[in-house]
Amino acid sequence: MSCVGFAPPRVALWLLRRVVPLTEREVFVGDLLEEGQAMAIRDGNATARRWFWRESLIAVLTLRRRRVITPVPQPAGDSRMLTFLGDLRHGARLLRRAPAFTLLSVLTLALGIGATTAIFSVANPVLFQPLPYPHPDRLAIVGERDADGTMSNVGFLTYRDLARESRTVERAAAMGSWQVTLDDHGAPERATGQRVSASFFSVLGVRPALGRDFAAAEDAPSTNSVVMLSHGLWARRYGSDSTLVGHTISINGAPYLVAGVLPASYESVVAPQAEIWRVLGYDASLPYACRTCRHLQMIARLRPGVTPADAAVELSALSARLVREFPKEYPAAGAIVLSLGDATLRAARPVLWAVLGASALVLLIAAANVANLQLARSMRREEEFAIRSALGAGRGRLTAQLLAEGLLLAVIGGVAGLIAARVTLAMLVARLPATMPRLGVIALDKTALTVSATITLALGVAIGLVPAMKDGRSEVADSLRSGRRLTGGRRHLARAGLVVAEVALALMLLVGAGLLARSLVRLMSVNTGFDATHLLTLQAQATGPKYPDNNAVYLNHERILASLRQLPGVKSVAIVSQLPLGGNLDMYGVNAEDKPLANPELAPYADRYAVSPDYLRAMGIPVRRGRDLTAADNSDRAPLVAIVSAGLASRIWPGQDPLGKRIHIGGPNPPWRTVVGVAADVHQRSLDATESSQFYLPERQWQFADNVVAVVVRTANDPTSLARAVRTAVQGIDPSQPVTALATMEEVVSTSTAQRRLALMMFAAFAGVALVLAVAGIYGVLAGAVAERTREIGVRSALGATPADILRMVLLQGMRLAVAGLAIGLVGALSLGRFLRSLLYGIDAADPLTLGMVALLLAAVALAACVLPAFRALGVDPITALRSD
Amino acid sequence: MLGEFEQLVLLAILRVEDDAYGVTIRRAIVDESRRDVSLAAVYKTLTRLEEKGLVVARVGDPTPERGGRRKRYYALSAAGRRALRQSIEVVRRMARGLGLGLEPS
Repeated sequence: MSCVGFAPPRVALWLLRRVVPLTEREVFVGDLLEEGQAMAIRDGNATARRWFWRESLIAVLTLRRRRVITPVPQPAGDSRMLTFLGDLRHGARLLRRAPAFTLLSVLTLALGIGATTAIFSVANPVLFQPLPYPHPDRLAIVGERDADGTMSNVGFLTYRDLARESRTVERAAAMGSWQVTLDDHGAPERATGQRVSASFFSVLGVRPALGRDFAAAEDAPSTNSVVMLSHGLWARRYGSDSTLVGHTISINGAPYLVAGVLPASYESVVAPQAEIWRVLGYDASLPYACRTCRHLQMIARLRPGVTPADAAVELSALSARLVREFPKEYPAAGAIVLSLGDATLRAARPVLWAVLGASALVLLIAAANVANLQLARSMRREEEFAIRSALGAGRGRLTAQLLAEGLLLAVIGGVAGLIAARVTLAMLVARLPATMPRLGVIALDKTALTVSATITLALGVAIGLVPAMKDGRSEVADSLRSGRRLTGGRRHLARAGLVVAEVALALMLLVGAGLLARSLVRLMSVNTGFDATHLLTLQAQATGPKYPDNNAVYLNHERILASLRQLPGVKSVAIVSQLPLGGNLDMYGVNAEDKPLANPELAPYADRYAVSPDYLRAMGIPVRRGRDLTAADNSDRAPLVAIVSAGLASRIWPGQDPLGKRIHIGGPNPPWRTVVGVAADVHQRSLDATESSQFYLPERQWQFADNVVAVVVRTANDPTSLARAVRTAVQGIDPSQPVTALATMEEVVSTSTAQRRLALMMFAAFAGVALVLAVAGIYGVLAGAVAERTREIGVRSALGATPADILRMVLLQGMRLAVAGLAIGLVGALSLGRFLRSLLYGIDAADPLTLGMVALLLAAVALAACVLPAFRALGVDPITALRSD
Repeated sequence: MLGEFEQLVLLAILRVEDDAYGVTIRRAIVDESRRDVSLAAVYKTLTRLEEKGLVVARVGDPTPERGGRRKRYYALSAAGRRALRQSIEVVRRMARGLGLGLEPS
């Protein structure tokens, strides 16, 4: 054994230099070295080093009491910053030294911050940002109040009268939808647009980037072939050609003058998919400008200081006057005024709030988990704190150190979270339903960055302060003196509290996911009224100069049907003016001959389906009574007929046989038609609509031909295998007409539930994460507790506790936390359930089955998390456990 | 009246006579009392005794095994001898006749 081999621990020497008073340092350290040397020769180097360390630590504790070293004064100004940087460096070193802990914490934080940031970015434009127009709070949508109190569109004359006479409205515009085919400058393309009053853009406060706004003189039937292009359409289709302005382009086979191009920043909030705007150009002489032709939306800029409620009062009074003047043209009196934000964004808000709330819960769980990890780690770092405290570090300094570590951890997690948010945001936006408002402006913008930075800092402070809270000096000194015996009861309590919170939050998320899943299952099993399997659909059209009259359109339809019937694997084919659940809204009032109404506007509204023969059979809609429509009904001399849905029949003729009754539908003087059949009800607007009415008539018996129709193809086998052949066949009939929206009917149904699916997807993902984190939390706390209670468990088994006793003891400890969490979580789920209510279908927010199943699931998983530590406790050998201390 | 550990330290100084510095004082206590005493505890007591004027210290020579650090030798002052004697006297009187097997030697 080498006698020169004794090397005193350098850190200990350094410590001693710092702590032992100058008066004693030289001789004290000299004595220690001398004795250490002697001990190294006698007992070996390791023993000597251990002794040296122990002596040093005791010296650190006992000799410092004399306060010969004056405490380092708190540095001010720049040096305080230096101290903080030093703390950060120290923190970074510590994090590197505990890679598993660091990785786990950073990943957890990244998950929480990333999820919240991504969801916030999605929700921000709808929930928090003002609309992108000057003074957006003064923009409002005005509608007529229907007999049932709901808001409806307005007829042109109503719009004109309200806009002209109102004193609360500064300026107003009417708007309607416009589907067009752009047919020059390349292959024909289908575009969505709006027809708007000439005042539309000045109501919004938007000026064209190129060219001019619509002129008031253009807003007339003979001069309305004028359009405005979106910047995107102008760049995409017309190659950003600025000479286009003032010239004409071909739309639906007719020339239209391009008045201008909107700025790239223009966002069409009222019609998210619109890319082209045409002057409305109505006047009172047009048949479709009537008061009952309620197909226009009215947008208004209110005078400064006028609220939508004020405007509603004034416009309702005006409406009452109109009703007195034209009693047969209004179902009810009154106007409804909604701020533009409410009118356009209201529908998307519940789902976004729910998902944002879910991500906030995940963030809370992540924070609880990391705080828990920090607490566990700080228990193992008692000695370090004791030494630092002995070195004269006050509580403030220790707290600052912990704070620096927490911030460091949070910032790393925050940056990782931002990267994750960036990556997932694109994927998320791609999955959002296209009907969601303001999709185009979703971005990881400055607001989102500010929010996530704030969250990150708050998390950093929280996870830094949680362990610091319990690190008083007295406890630290105790911990060093009493060795490893200290268990830190209060901190155990804090850890247990955090785990209880995690379980509670996870339960709320799981309940949300469960409720949404069960809603979706119920919704998808709703009887749609048709058979969506083996059904292929697409949108076809016949517009432009090739189709000057109705007959040309009908011939086109017949050619499409004939060509599709020849495809192998096609069982039946039909054409319909609108597809159920396809997002259309085409309704007419139905008046029965034997039930005359004083005000025809009070007649029940029903969805209109102008169909080719065989439609009901192709769709698999059962005919309850009477007969289906046949080719014979399309002949010129055939009597006018209609099929009504069972719902409509029972609304008009409750308890009576509708067959043979006569009805007239829409318009000022429509012809009578005979009901020849009753069809099963179908869901037109949504699967969760409770009431619906439909009527079907041969397309040749309607007053106009539908230029844009849906084609439905029932196939013998998998409909997707026929998709290409069907598209080619339809395209082949007229290559100049675009074929769009090719999808199976099952896809159409499923798309109609897109918002719910999105909510479910997010909740399921978040609930899964929450479950994993909560389980990790339970496991961590229990494993730590078992490790700390090794001695106690040893004593117990030495005193005769059976393995079953010990197993029960540990499991009980874990399950107590789980059950407390479940109880709190159930209360939370019950009180938060109402935020989900608008997304649920056929299920109560407090559905006991869902709550029970979820609680059971969570309890089972928690039990599984307890099993491993429990078995580790079983493995404790009483002899070793007792000897170890 | 001295504390027990103070008595031990003073006795240890007397016992090692001229060679009384930290290491030897501690060894004397460890050898005779069979208990593990830390150097820091010894120093703490020495400092207190010095402050009370019961011991006097002088600085000695450095040696290589001490990393060239000097020793500090301790000796009892007159007051120290008196205090030690009185203290032990008190213990002895208190123990007299109790049958503890501690009769004067």
